[in-house]
Amino acid sequence: MGLRSDWKYLLPYELLEPNWRLWSFVAVLAVGFWAVVAFPVAQFAGYIDPFYSPTVLIVPLPGVFRLTCYAYRKDYHRHLFKHPQGCSNADRGEAAGRKYTGERNAVFQLENFHRYFLYAGIAILPFFYYDFGYSLVYSGQFVLRLGSLVLLANALMLTGWTLSCHAFRHLVGGNIDCYSCVAAGNARKGIYDKQSWLNSHHEALAWISLLTIVFVDLYLRGLAAGLPIDVTFLRF
Amino acid sequence: MSQKFEEKPGEGTVKLRVRRGVGSDPATDRFDEFVVPMEKGMVVLNAIHYIQAHLDPSLSARWNCKAGRCGSCSAEINGRPRLMCKTPVESIEGDVVVEPMKAFPRLKDIVTDVDANWKVAAMIPPFTPKPGAGEIFRFYQQDVDRSREFRRCIECFLCQDVCHVVREHEADYVGPRWVVKAASLDMHPMDGLNRSKFMKDKGGLGYCNITKCCQEICPEHIVITDDAIIPEKERVVDREYDPLVWVYRHLRGSKEAEAQSFRATGGAP
Amino acid sequence: MWSSKSERVEVKVDEKSFEEKVCDVLVIGGGGAGLRAAIEAHDKKANTLVVCKSLLGKAHTVMAEGGIAAALGNVDPEDGWQVHFSDTIVEGQYLSNWRMAEIFAKEAIERVYELERYGALFDRTPEGKISQRPFGAHTYRRLCHIGDRTGLELIRTLEDQVIARGIPFMDEVMVTSIIKDGGGGRAAAALGIDIRTGMLILFRFKAVILATGGCGKVYEVTSNSYESTGDGVSMAYRAGAELMDMEMIQFHPTGMIYPAGVRGMLVTEAVRGEGGILTNAKGERFMTKYDPKRMELSARDVVARAIYSEIVAGRGTKNGAVYLDISHRGADYIKKKLPSMYDQFLEFAGVDITKERMEVAPTVHYQMGGVRVDPETGETSVRGIYAAGEVASGLHGGNRLGGNSLSDILVFGRRAGGAAADVAAGMDVPEFDRKELESEVGRVLSPFSSAGNANPFYLKEAIAKNMWKHVGIMRNEADLTAGLKELEAISTEARKSKAVGARAYNQSWLDTLQVWDMILVSEAIIRSALERKESRGAHTRSDFPEKSEEWLMNIITVQKGEKMTHELRPVPKLPPELAALIKE
Ligand SMILES: Cc1cc2nc3c(=O)[nH]c(=O)nc-3n(C[C@H](O)[C@H](O)[C@H](O)COP(=O)(O)OP(=O)(O)OC[C@H]3O[C@@H](n4cnc5c(N)ncnc54)[C@H](O)[C@@H]3O)c2cc1C
Ligand code: SF4
Ligand code: SF4
Ligand code: FES
Repeated sequence: MGLRSDWKYLLPYELLEPNWRLWSFVAVLAVGFWAVVAFPVAQFAGYIDPFYSPTVLIVPLPGVFRLTCYAYRKDYHRHLFKHPQGCSNADRGEAAGRKYTGERNAVFQLENFHRYFLYAGIAILPFFYYDFGYSLVYSGQFVLRLGSLVLLANALMLTGWTLSCHAFRHLVGGNIDCYSCVAAGNARKGIYDKQSWLNSHHEALAWISLLTIVFVDLYLRGLAAGLPIDVTFLRF
Repeated sequence: MSQKFEEKPGEGTVKLRVRRGVGSDPATDRFDEFVVPMEKGMVVLNAIHYIQAHLDPSLSARWNCKAGRCGSCSAEINGRPRLMCKTPVESIEGDVVVEPMKAFPRLKDIVTDVDANWKVAAMIPPFTPKPGAGEIFRFYQQDVDRSREFRRCIECFLCQDVCHVVREHEADYVGPRWVVKAASLDMHPMDGLNRSKFMKDKGGLGYCNITKCCQEICPEHIVITDDAIIPEKERVVDREYDPLVWVYRHLRGSKEAEAQSFRATGGAP
Repeated sequence: MWSSKSERVEVKVDEKSFEEKVCDVLVIGGGGAGLRAAIEAHDKKANTLVVCKSLLGKAHTVMAEGGIAAALGNVDPEDGWQVHFSDTIVEGQYLSNWRMAEIFAKEAIERVYELERYGALFDRTPEGKISQRPFGAHTYRRLCHIGDRTGLELIRTLEDQVIARGIPFMDEVMVTSIIKDGGGGRAAAALGIDIRTGMLILFRFKAVILATGGCGKVYEVTSNSYESTGDGVSMAYRAGAELMDMEMIQFHPTGMIYPAGVRGMLVTEAVRGEGGILTNAKGERFMTKYDPKRMELSARDVVARAIYSEIVAGRGTKNGAVYLDISHRGADYIKKKLPSMYDQFLEFAGVDITKERMEVAPTVHYQMGGVRVDPETGETSVRGIYAAGEVASGLHGGNRLGGNSLSDILVFGRRAGGAAADVAAGMDVPEFDRKELESEVGRVLSPFSSAGNANPFYLKEAIAKNMWKHVGIMRNEADLTAGLKELEAISTEARKSKAVGARAYNQSWLDTLQVWDMILVSEAIIRSALERKESRGAHTRSDFPEKSEEWLMNIITVQKGEKMTHELRPVPKLPPELAALIKE
């Protein structure tokens, strides 16, 4: 919430404090569509592009998982619907006059099923590790290549984002009021505290995990296009 | 219509633009400028006191502890809701602009009427020990941590002021302070009520779109949205939306009492 | 639900008219004492009304940090009310009323458990009981606490109870005076100002409870908040009630000194409890000279005098302070044990106490004296007026123990509420003296028609500076007399204090009335201090440095005609069974 000096009022708000997470999400949707339809590179040299991983076969689920994610909700309410676009007086915009129902109308009440999309999100996490494992075995040999590490990083970031979810926080221990009154309460409080630490980075992870997907996709396209960007570390 | 009061202007001074006015009368609404000598480490409230004692005794400002503990001196300083006694003048570039909180009706100058909060407070179902809690409670430090965060609240109502729902829309939403209150009771280890239905139906929790302005400005650094509002929303999901939890609850038989609005009318006491 | 936002209508104030409110029990003050009294009176079926000068929940009680003292014996099972009783009497330098101390030590325990049942979340022991921490001059670990924000939790919990019970309250109403009934024997009404509108309100009642807190603001350097201007003491005195031990003002040894804006802000005793070391500008650990045994953890009055002596002797810092250092305990430890102090220094002074030394100096903290009350019921010497909390005197004698105030306000708040409700149950609302009311209305409105032009905010500063300079930690006849003289000059000036502008939220008006109360309270303090020719507890006379048996006296201040008079009354003797409990 910056205090902007006068000349900056002349520029649209988005130029000054652009919301990278939101725009990258939009960009990924566009790139993804373009990539899947126009230039399919589903598999190359033993790597599976995340866009063609089984995840994408059930593409609506991870998509909706992101759409109903609390981090993205903040983003589109602020930056698309502009309720509010910023917190300080200078950034308020004209929202006061516009109708506002928050998350109460029929469509937005669907946000309340976020935890089910979380279940789906957790269910597909293993596939990203599968992709990583798959990339380790190429033409009958075990190889460790830079590309595999990129896939692993992607899997880890997605895991981080998924497990830092607010709904997950609730389920692992947030729904308990008295830890000493329930079975295994101390253990659950321990898990809850650790998850809470992860959860405090949820917004960052939501964005980073999106970037890594794009990066992996571009990386693999680069390989397919013959760019010399892969390195082999180990080979048995 | 802007009056100017100057004492030693120039070096070592700071200029304040203070919004003045009586009630909601637009005819009295104006900014007055004051030049106040700068002292190292001074906060905005010191400057206001200087104005009252030396420049204009008719200026009204609410304050009490002058230590960031009571939550009386809330105002909008350069467009941002803050405590006057906790805002160093040095932290502000250029003139200091002090305005009343906009979400509440103005009484005079920078003093606002925050009474409506008490009506809302009266609606929240109060602490109710669960059956069998006994005369002397037994629970442990790990049970205290979560609710404790919310008990730091000094009721400055700055979060109510910054929340666009309370500020810009006539919505039936209790506002962040009162979600924090409900959360502090819900997460009390010995509390026996479930406030979820109340929060959804009467509290208007669905109006919050988790845009986190309240969390950004809380002077007590309470993580309002992440630690109070979202968990309360998830509890509403448990209670009202999630079919699995519904089935589980009905098979097991819920022990928690259902809390509806405490005072159905929500009238001031 | 926020629609009332825009509903406030401007009230056109008709000169001298006032609104009338009738209740059984009027509680003046929304601190711990007032709210607990209101809950009790309400639960005893009295029609109760609470009024307070600040917003609900902002009373000075919110600032209490360390904890609430009660001998639960959760950490040290050897503790019991008997030891707490003894500590209170001994540290009060034998000026305390024994019966009050006995009631206090016994009932504090149940008040703490009751607070927990009301919803307060105390820190726990490993066994799941309320945890207790050590504090200066308490024999055992005795302070139940909620982190370092015990007062905040206490007041919020009581506030919730008041709201849940639907007890009516009016915040931002300043009561100015108590009006007697026609015969002059009994209190019958109180005049107040609705701060928001400027309207006068007449409260008629069967009994009134003063819970208006202390008077720290009569001093320049104080940890107290805006509202602590001694209104209650002044009101009671003007209504004819006896005051007691007004010279006993507690100086907390460690207040912030720098920057100027936060001068006086409290640095909690817990810093020393956790191992903080005091040094002077030369780097000497000076407590070795003053109390080599207990060092930094000596009694408050001893440490305060030690710091003061160092500064006066020219061994202070250039800001007129000494150093308090806790940085040797390491950043992690400090942030965990003293989070509020860490934040306070970082946010207000830009000092990182995990690395740097703090500059500290004594600050005015608490008023041990106040309105004299009956130990059982809290009734003052005027029928129908009750008092509880910091405004009342008798429990803490010459020095208050840390943590004893929060239990004091609950124990005696409850008792006063109960007694007032009992009395109210058996009577009608008395008629009030119309003449007296008329003259009061005249007095209250006079600042608007003042011929002079004195600025009340400035006058407040003048009073506070005078008290700090002449009636501080170290007193003597010459200073006190000079202080009295200067106070008279200020008083003359204060008659010309002017309220500017309209009546709604007019602070120059309210502050003028407070200035008058502050002058009265200051006079009572100075005259009592002149009276007590010995050094005892918080009262130190350089011209009478010894403590003397002859002075086991309470100094009573009472109005006779227009004159402030004093009377010495021997402290009631402890009955043998209680005397046997005392251990020095
Ligand atoms: C920084 C600090 C830390 C402290 N820490 C501790 C601690 O750890 N442990 C402990 O036991 N004690 C502590 N104390 C002392 C303790 O907080 C107070 O003594 C106690 O809270 C006093 O409570 P009270 O109810 O008597 O009055 P207050 O809390 O002072 O309340 C007074 C009430 O009266 C109202 N009032 C005053 N004048 C008028 C009027 N004219 N008309 C209408 N209403 C009026 C005020 O608005 C307020 O609501 C501390 C004090 C300070 C300053
Ligand atoms: S997060 Fe919710 S409560 Fe907080 S400011 Fe935004 S809309 Fe209001
Ligand atoms: S939650 Fe924070 S911002 Fe809101 S009232 Fe409490 S302290 Fe103020
Ligand atoms: S005056 Fe108490 S918070 Fe600022």
